[in-house]
Amino acid sequence: MKELVEFVARSLVDDPEQVTVTETSSQGKIHVELHVAREDMGRIIGKGGRVANALRALMRVAAAREGKQVTLDVVEPR
Amino acid sequence: MEQTTLEVLAPTVEEAVAKGLAELNLTQDEVEVEVLDQGTRGLFGLGSRQARIRLLVKTGTAANAASEPVKAVEVEAEAPAAAVPAAAEAATAAKKSPLQDDEFILGVAQATVKEILEKMGVRAEVKASFPESAQGDERNIWVEVQGKDLSFLIGRRSETINSLQYIASLMVGKELGRWVSLQIDVEGYRQRRERALRQLARRMAEQAVSSGRRQVLEPMPANERRIIHLELRDNPNVVTESTGEEPARKVTIKPTK
Repeated sequence: MKELVEFVARSLVDDPEQVTVTETSSQGKIHVELHVAREDMGRIIGKGGRVANALRALMRVAAAREGKQVTLDVVEPR
Repeated sequence: MEQTTLEVLAPTVEEAVAKGLAELNLTQDEVEVEVLDQGTRGLFGLGSRQARIRLLVKTGTAANAASEPVKAVEVEAEAPAAAVPAAAEAATAAKKSPLQDDEFILGVAQATVKEILEKMGVRAEVKASFPESAQGDERNIWVEVQGKDLSFLIGRRSETINSLQYIASLMVGKELGRWVSLQIDVEGYRQRRERALRQLARRMAEQAVSSGRRQVLEPMPANERRIIHLELRDNPNVVTESTGEEPARKVTIKPTK
């Protein structure tokens, strides 16, 4: 899951070096946190969350194939 | 080898050359400039005529090697009223979209979709092509995905295939430096779905007319609603309209009488 999110995120942002992804998993639930540069937040979330939701849809399908559930949070840098 | 040529229209010869070079992503000494029409400024914009030039790419340059067939592209400039800043803008805009050859564009599209699928754990064949009839930069990139049991890639109400299509077109667009339109099909689904939707549209239109009542279809994504609207556009007995909010937006077919 991590590779998928990393690949998509790095291809969409202006600053791929600031993309980091963490993946945690417990009881069949995968949680992915995606960190990007502040300037790239808009590119990853998209208008009305369209980009992030499309990414979630792909993650959901990938996770379902392994019988798992997945959530994605896009985290703004502090 | 055929030579790459580019015809450019701009308010002045200089601007036309600059624009053409930006479009090809080349420097002045990599091309030969042929002035086809000097153009005239006219008086207060009256009777002005744009300059027209042709750029011949000298053999052995990168762009020539990359794009074998002759590319004769007409680049229309805005009216010469605000000539100087407009030309500068055109030059920077053009720089973002160098003349990219088809094979490169299709290669990027194919590799992008294939890698997304791989990272999703999906094994599939991916093939990108341009529809034969289409021309120019507005062409749809058509990406076909083939494999075993891929129906899960379509998803409920085409959600997954449309998400894949959206993400992939953004990624390819970012790579190419310009917006692209990319359509993904999984095992002929789009064509089957289009046929089914056209049929549904006609049937529901008949029902609307015979019953005299509006028919509300189930929610559909934008590209599918479009197929319904287009199918019934020339039908004088009904009008169609989309109502509701995404993702529950749906088409209503109303009898005209």
